[in-house]
Amino acid sequence: MRLLMWWSGRALSSAATLLGVSVLIFAAVRLMPGGFAETVLGPFATAGQKAELAARYGLDQPVFMQYGHWLGAVAGGDFGVSMISRQPVGAELLARLPVTAELTVLAVAASVLLGVPLGVLTAVRARPTGGGAVGRLVSGLGVSVPEFVLGSLVVFVFSRYALGLEVGAWTPLTQDPAANLATMILPAAVLSVFSISVTARTTRDAVMGVLVEPYVTAAVGRGESPWFIVRHHILRNAATPVVTLIGTTTAYLLGGALIVEHVFNLPGVGSYIVQAVGRRDYAVVQAGVLLAAGVFIVMNVLIDLLVGAIDPRLGVMAGRRS
Amino acid sequence: MRPIRLACGVAAALLATACAATGTTTTPTAAPQETAAPGYLAVADEALAEGGALNLQVHIDSGAATGYDPQLADVATTWQLLSLSYETLVTVGPDFSVQPLLAEKWDTPDDRTYVFHLREGVRFSNGRAMTADDVVGSLKRLLASKGVWAGQLGPVGEVVKDGDDRVKVTLKEPYTPFLAALANVPAAILPMKEIDDKSVDLATTLLGTGPYVVENHRQDVSWTFKRNDKYWNQGKPAADTLNITIAPEEAARIAALQNGSAALATLGNVDSETMLAGAKDVKAVTQATTDFYYLMLNSLKPGSKLADPKVRQAINIALDAKQIAEVALGGKGKPTAITPAGLPGACDPAALPSASKSLDEAKQLLAEAGAQNLSFTLTIFNTEPAPAVAQVIQQNLQQAGITVKIEQMDEASWSGKVYGKAPAEFDAALSWFAGYADPGMVTKWWNPETAGFNAGFMKPDPELSKLIDAANKQPQDRAEALAGVCARADADAQMIPLVTRPATVAYRGDQLSPSLYATEGYGNVLRLVADARVKKTR
Repeated sequence: MRLLMWWSGRALSSAATLLGVSVLIFAAVRLMPGGFAETVLGPFATAGQKAELAARYGLDQPVFMQYGHWLGAVAGGDFGVSMISRQPVGAELLARLPVTAELTVLAVAASVLLGVPLGVLTAVRARPTGGGAVGRLVSGLGVSVPEFVLGSLVVFVFSRYALGLEVGAWTPLTQDPAANLATMILPAAVLSVFSISVTARTTRDAVMGVLVEPYVTAAVGRGESPWFIVRHHILRNAATPVVTLIGTTTAYLLGGALIVEHVFNLPGVGSYIVQAVGRRDYAVVQAGVLLAAGVFIVMNVLIDLLVGAIDPRLGVMAGRRS
Repeated sequence: MRPIRLACGVAAALLATACAATGTTTTPTAAPQETAAPGYLAVADEALAEGGALNLQVHIDSGAATGYDPQLADVATTWQLLSLSYETLVTVGPDFSVQPLLAEKWDTPDDRTYVFHLREGVRFSNGRAMTADDVVGSLKRLLASKGVWAGQLGPVGEVVKDGDDRVKVTLKEPYTPFLAALANVPAAILPMKEIDDKSVDLATTLLGTGPYVVENHRQDVSWTFKRNDKYWNQGKPAADTLNITIAPEEAARIAALQNGSAALATLGNVDSETMLAGAKDVKAVTQATTDFYYLMLNSLKPGSKLADPKVRQAINIALDAKQIAEVALGGKGKPTAITPAGLPGACDPAALPSASKSLDEAKQLLAEAGAQNLSFTLTIFNTEPAPAVAQVIQQNLQQAGITVKIEQMDEASWSGKVYGKAPAEFDAALSWFAGYADPGMVTKWWNPETAGFNAGFMKPDPELSKLIDAANKQPQDRAEALAGVCARADADAQMIPLVTRPATVAYRGDQLSPSLYATEGYGNVLRLVADARVKKTR
């Protein structure tokens, strides 16, 4: 019963969030300067052609009506038609989603596989100088350098010295997995720099917080091996903030993918939305932002469930018990 | 600030050496390019074997919004794509002479009549033979269309079948650019039978007589073209497959060239050629085009000083097109009058009335108009080299005491501001025109009553319109008539021509032997792609 309440509460708040996002984005794309007609049809278009286009996409109706139609269609799973390609937006998003998903999965994997050990290492061996300082510098840089700067730099360097990796080309995973990986590694690396740094920092802080706990001192006193202590006492207790962070960054990474895909010319959701914004392709921008918001909401639910599984005190069922 | 310096500045700390070669000069002088043959930048080596796949990268996948109907296509990037599958009756040679294509030859019994003799054995890619009815139907359909190219074709009176293999076109009055207009993609010969029985939708399907057929298309991602096995021109196309990748980011295209995943790419930045100078096996060339940048001065905005012809004249005098070409375009553009520099019969920009006047005369005109402290906003789009061009304009006009504020926008916002409302809201704006293949064609845009798109910021000048029409009616001795048009447009100064707009093409010498014209009229970098030989497929 309690679980049902939790789920329905979550569903309601998620729906409210999505509704809010839909209003915001619908208003925002219409407030962008620059007309869709001039952009889509070019300066030579006659008034008649512009009117025809507006009628075809319902843009001649009052904005409230347009919003209503759109929302109704979206609720039924229809994201509308791109004004540029005349293709259904839903199908296009679906076709591009695997690229973005692969990019995100690679970046998250890198964050976990590199960020967590790096964080543990810097916490366990925290010293005012040496490795700790270097670690802080690297993670500081990683957090502060924007993706497009790093991406442009990587494109520049690797276009001169390819080292077996591809820039500016993309091979579908289904066609040739090895070639696909060669085209995905660099963008994934650029995308993951931020999240690796944040993960390392958060892990370090969490582990250092656990290190001063009496049960760790006791374990050390019992003469347990350092690796055993890290695995059994520290990681489990430090995991909650790290898992929460990784969940949030996954959603964040989708935002970063926007830029990275564009810079590396990968046919993912990100580059689709960037181009759509530039061309005032309303339906695409609306659907893309809504999708991103949806992913964010789903990620948050997953984090809650996962955190509950790791530490039942903080879980879904915990709220009423305390 | 030149873009190359900016790019190097960002990367300087890490890549000091890599930039050393390009970062030192701000105005790379245009080295004389080797010409493969008169009028060509490159000629494909026919000794190389045919076949293979050619990987290309372009910056935009245009055309879908208006559909792929050639008659509705009005931008060069769409013409380029459609020209792979569609062909016209005639085409233009490297020297802008009109040459046969689907018409083997043509007679002109008088200056209003053209009789086209159709080539034998031409088939559409569905296998059906092209007939005189297809030609008549296509031209009639174009003339009845709402596209701008119906007007570019001129005052066509009648199009009739003249036997099974001949088509006769009669003009209401002589119109010199007729053949040149007939050479561009909107005048392509369409499969009229299939259009009439509705078995093909041209908005979504490419069905022409050209060298390639579409195998696959993903909007904004890629196009794949396969050779048209029914193609009439034996031995063409040389390459079996064209893989066209859409890469909006210039850096990604440059990277693809350098690592060999693209054999040819079109580049937008005038500095790209310099940046690629040291790249192994990559050859970057500047293709001159007849396209040109121009400055719009809004004379219809209420209360604007720019409504006064004297003020516009002063601005025109103060502008230094040569400096724009040198500084903003790295010496790759040329000053031009309204007849594009590079076309036979074009006016000499140095002979324009404004060119011989001094800055003092400009200041005098401003004083007479009571506009000594003139200041206005120049609206530009943010793609290179527009910002660099705007900065030189700003400096030029500063010399005459005019203050220019540059307002930079993304292209969609820019087009909304410039074309979105009538009267238009901008003071001044920068843009470029396609110059086409006959000096008479682009001059038509100086008459807002027929052009339309500029009616929101430009007053018609009846005298100028008359001169434009007269020059286009004159089959012989056009130079004098065109000089009159150029001088009048120079005095009117509502749209001031500045400099030609060069195109940069780069290709891998180890993968490809292409053919490229030295000067393009219809912005079609892929015009001779059917000749290109693949050396090796990566």
